[in-house]
Amino acid sequence: MPATTLERIASFLPERSVRIEELGERLGLRRAELGVFRKFYGLNTLRFDPDLDLFDLLRPAAREALAALPAGRRVDYLVFAHTTQAVAPADVDVAQVLREDLGLADTEAFGLSHQACVSSLGAIDVAAELLRAEGTEGAYALMVTGERAFSPVVQLIPNTSIMADASSACLVTLDGDGDVVHAFVTRTLGEYAEWLRLSPEENHEFGELYGSRLAEVILAAVAEAGLTFDDIDLVIPHNVNMLAWRQTIKALDAAPEKFFLDNIGRLSHCFASDVFLNYTTLREAGRLVDGGRYVLVSVGLGATFGAMVITHRGGGGDHG
Amino acid sequence: MGDRAAVVAAIGGALGDVMEREVPELTEDTRLFEDLRLDSSSILELLMLVEDATGITVDPEDLDMDHLKSVRSFADYVESRQAAGTPEAGR
Repeated sequence: MPATTLERIASFLPERSVRIEELGERLGLRRAELGVFRKFYGLNTLRFDPDLDLFDLLRPAAREALAALPAGRRVDYLVFAHTTQAVAPADVDVAQVLREDLGLADTEAFGLSHQACVSSLGAIDVAAELLRAEGTEGAYALMVTGERAFSPVVQLIPNTSIMADASSACLVTLDGDGDVVHAFVTRTLGEYAEWLRLSPEENHEFGELYGSRLAEVILAAVAEAGLTFDDIDLVIPHNVNMLAWRQTIKALDAAPEKFFLDNIGRLSHCFASDVFLNYTTLREAGRLVDGGRYVLVSVGLGATFGAMVITHRGGGGDHG
Repeated sequence: MGDRAAVVAAIGGALGDVMEREVPELTEDTRLFEDLRLDSSSILELLMLVEDATGITVDPEDLDMDHLKSVRSFADYVESRQAAGTPEAGR
């Protein structure tokens, strides 16, 4: 079976950075609540630009990833992955607008959101399955994700995180030269399908099981890749908060250095973009090595836990 | 008021601020989640207020939520932090 390869990962962040305290009034957070977000959840600054149009947010990452498409090749699928179901007015189909914007006239475009913040990893899996099913040699797919924290309702996940603006994109093909995907594992716990309307008991229960469930999914993906956790060079995680990772690291009995957590305080949780943002930060810092094994890990409300194991190719340079 | 009573009183005072309603009568057996219906974030908020009130400093890296299950375990934890002294105390 041909392997899924990630030919180019790109990310985009709005310039405007705010400290979480500047959002206190908008989000209705008391001083002590902001203190909890800062001290225990590890949040500090995030990118937030209410004046930036959704498409101006999505376009730079999408274009950068698409620029890696070799001459003469075509993009069969464009998948717009998102967490919030309604990211645009009802008469705007984001995937179709993006397709036209990018000049992909013959591309089939659709949106995908059912795994919330895991949707971006899920979209790569779906796109690769479609390419495999079609069996067209040299065909590509483009995953684009990104959304704006356009309302306090979507910006604040109570007791959990403060959402920020960002976008990411990934050009996918089969048996290409990019990073090889070895495994993608998800577990969905449907009993938490009520998102932000869970009862206090359900929220408490979810918080208690979070670290161990996420650890199980990470280990399942690593095992499916034929590896052990010791073989993994670095976990490239979501940026929901530090507490979630402290629990997961404890459940894995792993070294904290094996988890890239620097962007939690810098960028906060950017919907389904986190793992790709963190990937590009690491790549730009020269911290992704040729042949290195990495796990991209995300969790979506609803609740889905997802982990993708990859081998990076191309060193810490520009190739992604 | 003994040290222990002062710690429990500090927890009770902070609870009033966090719950924004009258705090039911507290005993050391009172459980923060089951009896007082605090969620995890409110419990952390409570911890921050108790830090201010008692002068202890909590390192988030070392925090074990088991310390925050009941008034008794919370007071034990505060006393252990007071006894250990905290390098950042008085900051």
